[in-house]
Amino acid sequence: MNRKILNIVVNGESHQVLIEPHWTLLQVLRNEIGMMGTKENCLEAECGVCTVLLDGKAVNSCILLAGQVEGCSITTIEGIGDPEHLHPLQQTFIECGAVQCGYCIPGMILTAKSFLDENPGSRPSRDEIREAIAGTLCRCTGYSKIIDAVATAAERMAISGGSQ
Amino acid sequence: MSFDFHRPATVTEAVDLAQRLFPTARFIAGGSDIVIQINRKKIDPSHLIDVACLPGLSGIAETSDEFTLGALTKYHTIETHPAFAGSLRALIEAASVIGGRQVQNIATIGGNIVNASPAADFVPVLLALDAVLDITGPNGSRSVPLQDFIVGPGKTSLLPVEIVTSIRLAKLPARSATAFVKEGRRRAMEISVVCVAACLTLEAGGSRCASVRLAIGAAAPKVFRAKAAEAYLEGQLADQTSFAEAGKLAAEECAPISDVRASADYRRRLVSIMVERALTACFERTGEERR
Repeated sequence: MNRKILNIVVNGESHQVLIEPHWTLLQVLRNEIGMMGTKENCLEAECGVCTVLLDGKAVNSCILLAGQVEGCSITTIEGIGDPEHLHPLQQTFIECGAVQCGYCIPGMILTAKSFLDENPGSRPSRDEIREAIAGTLCRCTGYSKIIDAVATAAERMAISGGSQ
Repeated sequence: MSFDFHRPATVTEAVDLAQRLFPTARFIAGGSDIVIQINRKKIDPSHLIDVACLPGLSGIAETSDEFTLGALTKYHTIETHPAFAGSLRALIEAASVIGGRQVQNIATIGGNIVNASPAADFVPVLLALDAVLDITGPNGSRSVPLQDFIVGPGKTSLLPVEIVTSIRLAKLPARSATAFVKEGRRRAMEISVVCVAACLTLEAGGSRCASVRLAIGAAAPKVFRAKAAEAYLEGQLADQTSFAEAGKLAAEECAPISDVRASADYRRRLVSIMVERALTACFERTGEERR
């Protein structure tokens, strides 16, 4: 087989993974590195549940070949907080009741984080938030509370001084 | 589904590799389209040549008379480029509706062009701006107007061993504006039912149209310029009556199909109204510039 070594940094930790050329970043994250918070669904960049941060920017890991991210830094939902130190978005998603079935939430939070990090200290309007998360679908249709949660997190992050 | 994945370091290396592996190799840039095609088993290349990291193909450069967009420029970069917020706003309007933010962060404008989808959202804007493509291949470089580059649905004049390296846009004269309007079955994450890009320049000191360029997507086998409507508008008063007439002419020029998204008849009606709307938006924007 034409396997190759992939060098990748996931949540700050360096990994070397033996990959097949057709494997996607999503497959590597879930099957090889065990980051099961990154979800799998449409596999065509329509739904956004597989969203991770590639060098800080939200991308669909289901349509990125692992070979394309050689040497890159990936952040998954496991990498932005832990139960003792939640990211402000994780905290506000809980407080606002933004989580129903939960399947879209890792992707939703990372999509929102990418957006807020791009505009540090800003207080985006509800419409701006809607547009920023358009690529991530919530099949429970719980968008109102998701937008509440993102807006509340933006407010707190603006007060505390930017990116976390 | 099995291929070798290659990462050349330069454009020359990439072209050499493509030549050596012809015809079993495909280039991959952002991959947002080709990876899906491979997964759907629509294509089965033996080699993928990754051009995403080639130096010198990303970013936006500006001279006194033109903009040069690297072929690997991402939609999100276009969307946030300050120089496009004025008369070239249609670039931002189209870039912001292509997929979600996650796709805008990886998909490249060169990829959208070489895919030559009849429903491509960015292509109409580039066509309305008379974009010129710079291409590198085994025999050196050549430049081709976008108008001549796309020859049919999914078909271009690009050889399999050539790479589009940049897209050049001439700056617009004073009293010009652009607009991009799109109709889909929902407001986000949707392939266009019809999309229209317009570029309007008013006569100096007057309220007549000096030049008009109209490009229409998803209403013919390829994105096309509505030449009859453009010719009619030149010298006409820029008003609702002439814009509506241009819409009618454009609807006569289009050749839509009926498919899962809409009927041909509905598309034709959309072309008429959307051309009028795009021109109206341009006219209002030339006013913003005057103020």
